[in-house]
Amino acid sequence: MINNPIGFLSLSKREILRFFSVSSQTIFPPLISSTLFILIFGVAIGSRVDFGISGLSYLAFIVPGLMTMHLISGSYENTSSSLFIARWHNHIQEMLLSPLSYFEMVLGLLAGGVARGIVVSTGVFLISCFFTPIGIYHFFWLIYFVLMISVIFSCAGMMAALWAEDFGMLNVWHVYAIIPLVLLGGVFHPIEFLPEWLQTFSHLNPMLYLVSGIRYSMTGVTQIPMGICASIAFLMAIISFYFTVYLFRIGYKLRS
Amino acid sequence: MRNSEIAISLKGLTKYYQDLKALDDVSFDVKRGDFFAFLGPNGAGKTTTINAITGLSNYQDGEVKVFGYNAKTEYTRTRPLIGLCAQEFNFDPFLNIHQLLVYQAGYFGILPKVAAKRADELLNRFQLSEKRNVKHRALSGGMKKRLLLCRALIHEPEILILDEPTAGCDLELKFLIWDYLVQLNKEGKTIFLTTHYMEEAEKLCKTIGIINHGHIVRIGEKKAVLQDKSLQDVFLEVTGLE
Repeated sequence: MINNPIGFLSLSKREILRFFSVSSQTIFPPLISSTLFILIFGVAIGSRVDFGISGLSYLAFIVPGLMTMHLISGSYENTSSSLFIARWHNHIQEMLLSPLSYFEMVLGLLAGGVARGIVVSTGVFLISCFFTPIGIYHFFWLIYFVLMISVIFSCAGMMAALWAEDFGMLNVWHVYAIIPLVLLGGVFHPIEFLPEWLQTFSHLNPMLYLVSGIRYSMTGVTQIPMGICASIAFLMAIISFYFTVYLFRIGYKLRS
Repeated sequence: MRNSEIAISLKGLTKYYQDLKALDDVSFDVKRGDFFAFLGPNGAGKTTTINAITGLSNYQDGEVKVFGYNAKTEYTRTRPLIGLCAQEFNFDPFLNIHQLLVYQAGYFGILPKVAAKRADELLNRFQLSEKRNVKHRALSGGMKKRLLLCRALIHEPEILILDEPTAGCDLELKFLIWDYLVQLNKEGKTIFLTTHYMEEAEKLCKTIGIINHGHIVRIGEKKAVLQDKSLQDVFLEVTGLE
């Protein structure tokens, strides 16, 4: 599968160093916004809410949701900006002229997205520990869902970067599709709190299963069977990965 | 690398940009160790041909082989054999020029220690050592040209493809590049050069190919192509630009 390990590692390293080199734009903003979410919704409002979901405080309920939200944003933004800037400046040729296979190219870019998602969501977790005792209920599932989610949205970022013709188009999917679906997927609320018609819609929203997977891994509380969440996450990850490799193989907006 | 005496082989290469036929059944071979000048007016199909050879462009029909390997289906084998010095300055803005070369070498499977040594040698050879820790934006146009060459050579390719390498260069840099290309060719590297400077092609090259409107209109050894005329006269005659 990987025939050029040094090439793959070089690309991965470059992708990871890139987001660390601009950490004021890539790592600190989500940590600051998460701290504010936790303070305002979790501490100030949440402490006055009679939540009543399996003995969880509202703060403990929203932390996994916030982690998922930033895992998704971090992964998506990393690959979308890196690949789009490479297309924009045309230094993507450095990669396209190399003997990296298309599979290795996608995997190398993916490494940056996955790493950034993990760094940011781990940061959100550590910050939340200052406000509420929160543990990890099921470590295996947590690793599984973090990897699956970051792969899905790193690939989504690459697809957006290939599709976009300018910086405005780059954010269209994020702003108009991903973020609304994530918020409706139960970051801040159990879906049982929604009107019945919206609950039906929520079950069609794939984000619900991803947020629920992370929440179960951390709290042991879930309204959806884990097998369903894990299967949906796996399917989405596989489809998005191979579709991205396919786009590279046909040279979609990469080759004239 | 296969033991092929043909470095680059194009057969029936045809490429459309929507309705425009940019390359029309282009076929020719470039021998191993040749110094090949590929000439043509603007928009004739020079860069499109280069892009097809390097894999930067899709094409609708035909076949490109590099030392016997198919450039489409065996691209992981053909790409290490080619170094491309493109026309435009397309460098990664996040890296300094030394890192840029080391990462580029890494993509070709070269270990970082070896890559760093090679990068130092090339930067020294092209008088860029003092700038090794700056980003490409801080370089002058001539320095960027030299950096393009360093990047094309970092993985020690068998074939060096140069798309107008001396365009906009002062005389000193032009001579530096010419000397280095002649030296590389003597060492056995195959050079594929496009240029608008006829004296450059006439002075350096052993074989000349001229393309016009996507067709090869003249190709052969320098003597046979020139037939006691100047290259400029031949060029004007076959392209109809007189």
